Amino acid sequence: MKILGISSHFHDSAAALVVDGVPVCAVQEERLTRKKNDAAFPLRAIEWCLEKGQIEPSDLDAVVFYEKPMLKFERILTMALRAFPKSWRSFPHAMKNTLGEKLWIKGIITSHLGIPGSKVLFTEHHQSHAAAAFLTQPTKHAAILTADGVGEWATLSVGVGEKKDDGSTSIRILRELHFPHSLGMLYSTFTAFLGFAVNEGEYKVMGLASYGTPRFLEEVRKVVRPAPKGSFTLDLDYFDFHTTARRSYSDELVRVFGKPRAPHEPIDLAAPEGARYADIAASVQLVLEDTLVELTKSLHAETGLTDLCYGGGVALNGVANARILRESGFERLLVPSAPGDSGCAMGAALYADRIHFGNPHKDVPDHPYWGPGIDAEELARLAREDSMVLDEATDEGAFLERVVDALTSGRIVGWMDGAAEYGPRALGSRSILAAPHTVAMKDRLNKEIKYREEFRPFAPAVPIEVAGTYFDLPPGGARLGTFMSGVFPVRLEWRDRLAAITHVDGTARVQTVEQASAPRFYDLLQRYGKRTGIPVLLNTSFNLAGEPIITRAVEGYSTFRRCGIDVLVAGRYLVTKRGAAARLRPSNAPSAETDPPLSTSEEALAC
Amino acid sequence: MSAVGMVGAKAARPRRVVSPGFDRFLRPVHRWVWADAHRRATKLLRFAVTEAESGRDMTRAAECTKDPVLRRIYLKHAMDEQKHANLFTARGRAILAALPSGQAGGSFQANWFSPGERGLDELKVDEETDSSLLAFLHLSEMAGAKRFVVYMDVLGVDPQTRDVFSIVLPDETFHMSYSLTQLKRVSPESYRRRLLWARLGILWKAYLRFASGMANLFGGILLTVQYFLILPLFALVAKRLAKKDLPGWSEARSGAKVSLRTQY
Repeated sequence: MKILGISSHFHDSAAALVVDGVPVCAVQEERLTRKKNDAAFPLRAIEWCLEKGQIEPSDLDAVVFYEKPMLKFERILTMALRAFPKSWRSFPHAMKNTLGEKLWIKGIITSHLGIPGSKVLFTEHHQSHAAAAFLTQPTKHAAILTADGVGEWATLSVGVGEKKDDGSTSIRILRELHFPHSLGMLYSTFTAFLGFAVNEGEYKVMGLASYGTPRFLEEVRKVVRPAPKGSFTLDLDYFDFHTTARRSYSDELVRVFGKPRAPHEPIDLAAPEGARYADIAASVQLVLEDTLVELTKSLHAETGLTDLCYGGGVALNGVANARILRESGFERLLVPSAPGDSGCAMGAALYADRIHFGNPHKDVPDHPYWGPGIDAEELARLAREDSMVLDEATDEGAFLERVVDALTSGRIVGWMDGAAEYGPRALGSRSILAAPHTVAMKDRLNKEIKYREEFRPFAPAVPIEVAGTYFDLPPGGARLGTFMSGVFPVRLEWRDRLAAITHVDGTARVQTVEQASAPRFYDLLQRYGKRTGIPVLLNTSFNLAGEPIITRAVEGYSTFRRCGIDVLVAGRYLVTKRGAAARLRPSNAPSAETDPPLSTSEEALAC
Repeated sequence: MSAVGMVGAKAARPRRVVSPGFDRFLRPVHRWVWADAHRRATKLLRFAVTEAESGRDMTRAAECTKDPVLRRIYLKHAMDEQKHANLFTARGRAILAALPSGQAGGSFQANWFSPGERGLDELKVDEETDSSLLAFLHLSEMAGAKRFVVYMDVLGVDPQTRDVFSIVLPDETFHMSYSLTQLKRVSPESYRRRLLWARLGILWKAYLRFASGMANLFGGILLTVQYFLILPLFALVAKRLAKKDLPGWSEARSGAKVSLRTQY
């Protein structure tokens, strides 16, 4: 049975193909269109998935959309009615937005794919999250928690999933919280209040929180009030997201927390205003964590299960995840590589396969590498055309030693290997790697490559077997780290030697690497460890600010040429900037300075 | 500065760019638009966003072209745009930081009047041929450079901002020049036709912007009228029903075995 899953029209569209119960491939639309958070109908992702699976649209047994558009429309209309007449400005906007394309998704799918409408199915948004969280993970019986901004009506749900011995599967949602009471909206509202882009800047709030003290805790607790059975309600006096599209917070929130930060205003943590922003972030983060811990404690007590599968955008909050793991009572916290809406494409397809069609359960390979592969020959061609320094490996071991040479000598490596990751994190397939030992490296990466705020930390990658040596992992922590989903303390004795990845509060968002899922990356870490005594590398996503993570070799190459990456690796090829050796000195001069310029004739042609 | 950046610096032989006569005629209005510090800052920050987007589009162009010369020049162009974005951001922030605390700017931005660069005007870079992209780039960069000349002329009130434009302008001139030179190389026989098509394309897009703006306006008016005429009764019912909502958990709808075939 061939099933295509689709998520689109909110943020981060994606497609995933499941054949005979096992995922074949999955990719976010942004990785192919190069538009960050591309929310358009994922035509390119669908085309790529079908090509990868070598099937025609007519071969598909079902196409599953990740939410129910009419139910969502009902929520939008109902909220407009409830907010009458305050919603008069947002109503035309909301209607145009919904009636334009979102409501006609069935027709869009059938017209693009040329399949009958009867093949188009619709899961509920949080069903898709739950399926992505449970069906992709190595567990037979688990509690399920999903939390995000909003789907149709649900913003958070709890349930239980079971893969039975007879092959049947069940996902039972026990209860849910409804819009506008939403942890995702709470966090997004404060993200906007702190001057960051919603659905993009939530990481920044989490990073900023480490610099603050939660002195606004009582104020935030008035915003999020406890409700029966571990649930909560938002005090809507502090919000406007449910009544207007103009802004998500109300004047009351401004009255309590002070002036919101303007998006372009620099954050000076030494100044009172900067400290206030950090303190607000710390307070919101703590309330989010406390709320989730209470919820999961209650869920653990109710179900008595050892595993918790957790999906939805809120599951990207690694600090909260670590606290859930430590305090909820669950032994394992399983978060998929794509817990957000992009992951719903795979969740929807798997849900249809297991639950709707009743196909027997099959284990899903436990890795995040479902995207397009890398064409190393393309990199070689580009490097030759531009007369770059190109090395070709004949021996894999010697080749990886060359990469280790580069890393140990302080060079920054663009690493492209195998199939791209599915989800927002670079997990050793499309990564920028560097030695993690000095603050200078962190500063260099921020200044010359990522061009981002200094308060944002970099993540480490470490072989799973030795992760506990360097990081203070609770039981289950190593598993949570496989998709970089938890933030854990760096052991005190290693902090000085892992300064580039140790955040201000002594923590790091650890990726634990398993040999089975990423053999080459694992080998690189081991070789680096043999050379330096510390098998830990700084691993950050292979992209520049405002761009999605790269997919193809040409995108890696263009990124390499535009920033301070010294060495670029794909397959058996290694491209080095001529000035890379000189770059070992602390300097701000971009390394391409001594790379081959346009020839005189080209220069003449250029102008 | 990178290799391609160096080439850019050497290769940029600034042609004299003259502001259009119409803009020269409207110089007093431009001067008024740019006189307000808050408006000036927000304009610069908006320009920065446009330049950064253009940079990303040029990167995409570099990734899509099969022509190595174009790839290298496009990458240089992309880095120029990013440099401009950084310059505009820094200057915009500096102006805002220098404003007296609590001074709010007027909401009137006159963005239609001084749009800066239009970026690549929602061009689908990866669907364009080298020649059609170059033709469009030439016209777009020329228009941007001419506008920047006007802005420089009226920025006597703020020499530092004028200095920013004086750094950006040679790059824009270079972009304008290389795109034409490369167009002649890539399409020696048909470059004039390409330019004509690009002009028509820009006009068509302007029409589409206008038409969609009008449709949006009329759609908004109609929906607002419907909102006040049709919705009040339903709103009353919805508000009454909302009062029955209990705080906390709701029964899971999906627990009721809702079919995957329905959109409800």
